[in-house]
Amino acid sequence: MTSAAVGSSTKPVSPNTSGLDWGLIARQIAGILRLELRRNLLSRRSFGLYFLAFSPVGLFVIWALSPATEVLSGPAEAVAQVFAPIFGGFPPIFLGYLPTIIFLSALITFMSLFRSEILEHSLHYYYLTPVRRWVLVTGKYCSALISACCVFSVSTTLLFLLICIPFGLGDASQYILQGPGLGYLTTYIGLAIMACIGYGAVFLLLGLFFRNAIVPAAFIWAWESINFILPSLLQKISVIHYIRTLYPIPLPEGWLAVTTDATSPWMSVPGLLIFTALVLTFAGWRAGRMEVNYEGD
Amino acid sequence: MASEQQPQSVEETIVFDNVSKFYGEVLGVNRINLTFQAGITGLVGPNGSGKTTLMNLMTGLLRPTQGEVRVLGVSPSQPQNLFARLGYSTQFDSFPGGMTGYQFIYSYLRVHGFPHGEAHNLTWQTLERVGLTDAAERKVAGYSKGMRQRVRLAQAISHGPQVLVLDEPLNGLDPMARAEVIDIFKDLAETGCHLIISSHILHEVDMIADRVVLLSSGYVVAEGEIGGVRTEMNDHPIQVLIRCNKPSTVAARLFEHDYIVGASLHDDLQGLEVQTRDANRFYSQLNEIVINEEVDIETVTVADADVRAVYQYLIGNEGEAR
Ligand SMILES: Nc1ncnc2c1ncn2[C@@H]1O[C@H](COP(=O)(O)OP(=O)(O)O)[C@@H](O)[C@H]1O
Ligand SMILES: [Mg+2]
Repeated sequence: MTSAAVGSSTKPVSPNTSGLDWGLIARQIAGILRLELRRNLLSRRSFGLYFLAFSPVGLFVIWALSPATEVLSGPAEAVAQVFAPIFGGFPPIFLGYLPTIIFLSALITFMSLFRSEILEHSLHYYYLTPVRRWVLVTGKYCSALISACCVFSVSTTLLFLLICIPFGLGDASQYILQGPGLGYLTTYIGLAIMACIGYGAVFLLLGLFFRNAIVPAAFIWAWESINFILPSLLQKISVIHYIRTLYPIPLPEGWLAVTTDATSPWMSVPGLLIFTALVLTFAGWRAGRMEVNYEGD
Repeated sequence: MASEQQPQSVEETIVFDNVSKFYGEVLGVNRINLTFQAGITGLVGPNGSGKTTLMNLMTGLLRPTQGEVRVLGVSPSQPQNLFARLGYSTQFDSFPGGMTGYQFIYSYLRVHGFPHGEAHNLTWQTLERVGLTDAAERKVAGYSKGMRQRVRLAQAISHGPQVLVLDEPLNGLDPMARAEVIDIFKDLAETGCHLIISSHILHEVDMIADRVVLLSSGYVVAEGEIGGVRTEMNDHPIQVLIRCNKPSTVAARLFEHDYIVGASLHDDLQGLEVQTRDANRFYSQLNEIVINEEVDIETVTVADADVRAVYQYLIGNEGEAR
C-alpha cells in the first residue's frame, strides 16, 4: 500500500465551510442511523423496549383468557373497554398505562443514546468526525425515534387485531374497514408516536446531563402525572398535555380528571413539535459544549 | 518551537496560545505556548505529565480553561472544519460493541459522509496498510492488544488526514509491529503530514521524531530538535540521592567517570548525593557498582521533581526496573 492511497482520498467536505452542505449532512445522518438503528433494535438494550412495548399484548391475552372476563358484544365495545383504559389511565397510574410504558421505553432507548456511549467509552469516535454536534444529536434522536415508533406501531396493531379478531373475521373487518376501527387504530398509533417524539427528546437531553437516571426520571414522571392540576402555562411544559387532547375516545372521568383547558388537536400537534424542537436545540447546544472525559464514569 | 525553523503561517501549524487546563482543582497542563510544524513531533513525559490532556485540547475533546488552540487555523470547537483534516488515535482502548475491524472503520467513514463505495475502498486500503487484512472480518473484541492498537491507528488515518495525533501508539506493540508502524509514520511525514506522537519513553520516539516537546507535571520543560534537548539535559546536572550501606565505595567508583560532576557523603554515612550530567550512563554504572561491590541500596531519588521527571523519561525502560 502506498502512502498516496490514504493521503489522497477525496474529502467528503464541501469547500464552502461556512454554509451548510445539506447533501453532506444527509449522508452523515444516514451514517449515524446505520450505526444506531442496529444498537437500538438488535442489541441487549433493545430487550427492554420490546418487553415494554409488547406487555399490553401479553396482559390482554391473560385478561381475555381469564374466566372472570365478561363477554362483550362486539369489536367496538371491546376496543372501548380495552384500549381506552390502556391509553387513558386507571386511577392508580395517573399517566395512563400506555403513556407510562412509552415513558419508560423512551427512558431506556433515548437516555442511552449518549449515556451508554459515555459508559462504554466510545463516544469520542463520533466526536472525532467532521459532524456538527447538532447533526449528531439529530441523527441519534431520529434513530431512536424510528426504532420506538416501529416497535410501538407493531405492538399497537397487534393488540388491536387481537381484540377484534375473536369476534370473527367478518365482524372485525366490518368494524375496522367500514366502521371507525381503522380511524381509531391510526389515532392510537399516532398518539404513541407523539409520546415517543416528546418523551424521546426529554430523555435524550437528560442523558446528556445525568449519570443516574432514576431521580430525574421520577421527577418528570411525577410532573407529567400531576400535569392536569397545574396552572395552564406550566401544563404546556409537558408531553402528556399535548397527547391528552388527542384521545379519540373520551377518558373515563375519574376524581382526578379536573379537565384541562381544551387545546384542539390543531394546536396540540404543532405545540408538541415546538416543545420537542426546543428541547433538542438545547440538547444540541449541550452536546457541543460537552467534554469527552470519561474519568469518573 | 525551535527558532531555526522556517516560520510557517497559522494555516499550516498547530498553535497553543497560553493554554491551561484544570480538572477542577487538578492541574492538567499550565500556560502552554507551542507551535507544531509539519513533520513528526514527539510529546514526551512521564505518566501524568499532561500529554493526553494536550492532545485532547488539540482535538476539542477538552476545552481549555484558559487560552486558545488553533489547528491549521481552525478552532477545535468546529468539528465540521477540523476532523476532515485531523485524525486522532486516543489512549482509550475501547470500541463500540459487537463490531468487526472492517465494520468499525467503515461505519465511521460513513458517519464522516463518505458514500458506500469510497468508504469501502478506504477501509480496505487502511486495513492493508496496518497489516490487518486477515483479521478484518473478526470481531475487534477478540483482537490482541497490538491489533487493537493498530485498528485504532487505521481508524485515525482512514480518511486521509493532514494532522495525525497519536497517543502512545507504540504501546502494546511487539517489535515487528512496532517497526511496521514506525514505517507508516515516516511515510505519512514524508507526504507533508503533521504527526504528533506521545510516549512516556524518550528513546521510543527520539529515533523517529524531528522534534520533541518534553512535558513534566503539566509544564513544557524543554522543546526543540532532539539533539538540542539531549544537550540541554546533559548541561543541566541532575542531583541524585542514594541511600545505601557503602556510600564511600559507591562515591569512589562513580568518580572514575567524567559525567559525574560531584558527590558528597551524608553525615550519617548511610548515603550520598551525586551530581551527574548523563543520567543514562550514571544509572547503568550504578547498577554495575551495585552488583560488583554487593552494595545494598535502600532508595534512589532525584532531588528536584522536575529533574526527576526529565530523568525518568531519559532513562526510559531501564528506569522502571529500579
Ligand atoms: N479527567 C480527569 N480528572 C482529573 N484529573 C485528571 C483527569 N485527566 C487527567 N487528570 C490529571 O491531569 C494530569 C495530566 O494527565 P494526563 O494528561 O493524562 O497525563 P499523561 O497523558 O501524560 O499521562 C495528571 O495529574 C492527571 O491526574
Ligand atoms: Mg496519557
